[in-house]
Amino acid sequence: MSALAAVGDKLPETIIGPFDAPALARYAEVSGDANPLHLDDALAAGVGFAAPPVHGMKMLAAFEPMLANWRSDLAIVNLSGKFVQPILRGEKITLSGRVLRASDTEVFVRLFAHGSARLPGVIGEATLRPRSAGPEA
Amino acid sequence: MQTDAPLAIGPLRLTVDPVRAMAYAREIGADDGRVPLAYPAVWLSEPALSKVVSDVCETLAVVPVHESQAFAYERSLTAGESYDVTVTLRREETPPRLIADALITTTDGAPVGRIETMLRLVPRAAFEKGAEAPESTTGEAS
Repeated sequence: MSALAAVGDKLPETIIGPFDAPALARYAEVSGDANPLHLDDALAAGVGFAAPPVHGMKMLAAFEPMLANWRSDLAIVNLSGKFVQPILRGEKITLSGRVLRASDTEVFVRLFAHGSARLPGVIGEATLRPRSAGPEA
Repeated sequence: MQTDAPLAIGPLRLTVDPVRAMAYAREIGADDGRVPLAYPAVWLSEPALSKVVSDVCETLAVVPVHESQAFAYERSLTAGESYDVTVTLRREETPPRLIADALITTTDGAPVGRIETMLRLVPRAAFEKGAEAPESTTGEAS
């Protein structure tokens, strides 16, 4: 059988945001993450940020629809991310990814979320398998 | 909490609220009708868990900074279904971290998934007004 994807394949870039204050407030309410750092300009300024940072989980979670749009025949079985540096409210966020490993049963991709800075804000990874192979509903 | 004494919480019986799951999906840009695999992030705000985390941070005079997050599934979550979630909290000293490992099972014990939440513990003084952004806020404060 052939591999599900080719190593080195780039995922189509996805742009999310820029998120404004009401968008971050909505995410805070829905997620239950009430940390004021994401919502309070003065608090963010107090620790040296030009604007409140976007919730890291909001960006990590956004990889799921990106991956589904890329390969709807595959289901995500693992998704993880390290929040490397803040991406601030008002920044356009580019989600990107690349296939690092692939077999006939599994695809492993490296994921990045970039704001305006050179370094990524989130470095993630995901493992995908054919929907028939799980995770089962 | 001692660094060498992990604390077990639960099992907590938690439900995937269909309305909240769809609202969460909207906020992350998903529209396929499935429960987002990151949905259990909302369970971090469950008082039985968040109270323990806030108590630890209060005792240590630290602010938790969300450093990393991982989800691994054997089966998908279903809207309206209840699950048993058992959380183990453990501390690491170098660097200072609080790590929550959550095991999700169906109510009859079948494995569903695992979640790891890693929080870097940053001295509260680093967040006081006028302080420079601490290096550890490269993550996101929780």
